[in-house]
Amino acid sequence: MDQTHHLRSARFRAEREADWQLLEQLVSLAERRGLHRMEFAQARDLAASYRRATTSLAIAREISLDRALLEYLEALTARAYLSVYAPQERLGGLVSRFFLTSAPQAMRRSWVFIVIGFVCMGLGALTGYLLYLENAAWYFVFLPPELAGGRTPEATTGFLRSVIYDRDPDSSGLGAFATYLFSHNTRIAIFVFGLGVFLCAPAILLTFYNGLGLGAIMALHVDRGLGWDMGGWLSIHGVTELSAICIACGGGVQLGAALLFPGVRTRRDALQHAGRDAVKLALVAALMLVVAALLEGFLRQQVQDINTRYAIGWGIGALWLLWFVFAGRVRK
Amino acid sequence: MRLWPRRKVRPSPDVILPPEGVPLTLRVAGVGVRLTAQITDVLITLTGMACILILLALLNLTRPQTLFAVAALIFFLIRIPYYVVTELVWNGQTLGKRLMKIKVVSHDGRSLGTHAIVLRNLMKEAEIFLPGTLLLTLDSAAPIASLAAFGWVVMAFLIPLFNPHRQRLGDLLAGTHVIHLPQPVLLKDLARDAPEPREQGRKLTFLSHQLDHYGAFELQTLEGLLRADDRQLSPAAYANHRKTLATIIEKIRRKIGYGDPVPPEDHAAFLKAFYTAQRAHLEQRQLFGDRRADKHHAEADPRA
Repeated sequence: MDQTHHLRSARFRAEREADWQLLEQLVSLAERRGLHRMEFAQARDLAASYRRATTSLAIAREISLDRALLEYLEALTARAYLSVYAPQERLGGLVSRFFLTSAPQAMRRSWVFIVIGFVCMGLGALTGYLLYLENAAWYFVFLPPELAGGRTPEATTGFLRSVIYDRDPDSSGLGAFATYLFSHNTRIAIFVFGLGVFLCAPAILLTFYNGLGLGAIMALHVDRGLGWDMGGWLSIHGVTELSAICIACGGGVQLGAALLFPGVRTRRDALQHAGRDAVKLALVAALMLVVAALLEGFLRQQVQDINTRYAIGWGIGALWLLWFVFAGRVRK
Repeated sequence: MRLWPRRKVRPSPDVILPPEGVPLTLRVAGVGVRLTAQITDVLITLTGMACILILLALLNLTRPQTLFAVAALIFFLIRIPYYVVTELVWNGQTLGKRLMKIKVVSHDGRSLGTHAIVLRNLMKEAEIFLPGTLLLTLDSAAPIASLAAFGWVVMAFLIPLFNPHRQRLGDLLAGTHVIHLPQPVLLKDLARDAPEPREQGRKLTFLSHQLDHYGAFELQTLEGLLRADDRQLSPAAYANHRKTLATIIEKIRRKIGYGDPVPPEDHAAFLKAFYTAQRAHLEQRQLFGDRRADKHHAEADPRA
């Protein structure tokens, strides 16, 4: 009798080699063309063959000392595992699912944190407003000069009015859109979200600080009798943009809260869990910032009528609210 | 007696447990490979940005004052979908990762979810790109912000270095890590196509006590050596190889007490025969629960 047939591992390999080679072909097919474009029989064979290969690997580890065989089986099974457990989601389905169900559901689940975001901003605005009325010098503390753009307590009422109703060709169009998108508020939103991980405090403080500036500039215009006009100028994009900052703050606070109060989970698990909703909040905030930049770049200086400005700004705000409240409700 | 407590044995970072319950070895990709893949991806997206920017400039849609902002915007708008879409479509591989043959896998051995892919790529923005942009755009007038951004980027780069799975912050949050794609290559079974082992017309046989000296490590080292013979060698390397074989045969003979000298033309045949016999013996012992890792198995066995 030949020596080969004494070797159990060699017999084991000879019996299964054809199956492994079939699996190898199927795996390369799945990697080239994708699982969803394979025929039914091929996909079925891939799954079955993969499971047989895992069994073979488990047995081979026990009975064989052939390193080449072990390494081959290991690599083949790993490769098959990767293609069997590939993400099976279509892009179109992904986008529509985000807009129709997952984003509004996440918004509703984390409404407490979003309310915290709005409260921070509101309290900031109120504080800024009252402090300005008490002493106008606070204005320079709250608003950095490059953001104020000359709108200081020393400026004339005429200048303030001209900023509100100015048709500057440079401040509309694509360039302006891009500039606005990467402007102050977007940076604030990013920081507010990202810094929330550090136990909430930076996110809350930054949102509050942003509110201070808002309150101060409102107080300045109200002081000059331009409050209603300023409101319109801000509303057209501000409703969307400031809400985006508050929502980003909500996402950041959610992450921070997961670290502070992990509950029964470990902190890492709690952070991962909170991340699922927080990321959707961040995506919603990003979308809102893009819309706000579009409004700011293309509409703000074009629409001169104050009532239209209010209507556009708060109308779009109402649309956001409708989306958050009513989209993706599951009928019980 | 042990003077200090045994170090906690950590499971190897390369092992993933799929739902089938058979652990698989998927080698964790190093920082260098991942950085190369990342740079490739950045170059690809930058090229896309440059093309669109030139198109816009030709159509007179940009102004020099806002050129930088528009460029940043386009880069941003290309970059974000690029990573998410490529990793979704190619199962955890961007073009750069495909080039470097690495791949994102789920840390818990389950399917790589959409959420994980989106999260790890959005975190990439927060970790590297946004502070990086900030670093590039800020002037020396605001040193604190620059320093903060710089510190943040350095921290983001340091985290993978201290993590056994080389996970960056986004990987930690999304529960993923990056592995080398294994390449299955089936080499032929050495025991199967062993030539008829003959020595002066007699069949080579090894006795059971002669095979008790070595363990799996020596067997697999010998396997590697025998496989090296199959490759094409230059004359000098071939002579060297023959010399190594002769030395090894002498050592084996002395160790196992094999009496007859082996003539040079039979060297390869002798080693193959010895490999087959040794493997049969060790596999037999293993089936009876006697795993022999290496030649020190007799001393290592606590029951002996």
